[in-house]
Amino acid sequence: MLVLSRRVGEMIRVGDDVTVTVLEVRGDVVRIGIQAPRSVAVHRAELIVELETSNQEAASPAEGTAAALAAALRNRKD
Amino acid sequence: MNPAVEESVPAIPLIDFVRPLPGFPGLTQFALVQVDDDGLLSELRSVEDSDLSFLVLPPGPFFPDYAPEIGDDVVEDLGVTSPDEVIPLVIVNAGDTLATTTVNLLAPVLVNTARRTACQVILDEDLSVRAPLQA
Repeated sequence: MLVLSRRVGEMIRVGDDVTVTVLEVRGDVVRIGIQAPRSVAVHRAELIVELETSNQEAASPAEGTAAALAAALRNRKD
Repeated sequence: MNPAVEESVPAIPLIDFVRPLPGFPGLTQFALVQVDDDGLLSELRSVEDSDLSFLVLPPGPFFPDYAPEIGDDVVEDLGVTSPDEVIPLVIVNAGDTLATTTVNLLAPVLVNTARRTACQVILDEDLSVRAPLQA
């Protein structure tokens, strides 16, 4: 991992078109601004992990789950 | 742009995910198959991994106020020319009962029914990946 020290207001360029700016440092909270093309997805890392976990939990439900859920949804409407 | 509100989901034999679902790298081809007669509950079945499937629902009947905003990047990626082409689906994490069943509202799967393209997008909203299906 590349480690750089930056002051508030200073920037880091990643590749040709991504700029990371340190906006504010207050205690243990750092506010960061990221300028990137729309095609580059920028998300909090823990959100991606949460989504991966949620997808994996939802994947390939046990046999019969779909039928049971379909029946429960039908009953809900009756 | 907001996608169309659908009460039922069309069956689509082959959908190309323009980006793999997070957690499932490399898998981009899925079939959308109806599970019930109402066309409400459907299944996304992986073409490349026959063991992999997801249950999906149209959010409309359950979350009437849910209106995911589609960004320009997604419009471009999915080749969307009209909002009517796009339907949102939410991935279901089925519990033992409806009461324990949750859906992922934060990251819906958007399907372009005209181009048969799709992707899972993370919305910039305060929504849960495990929202109870029954509020």
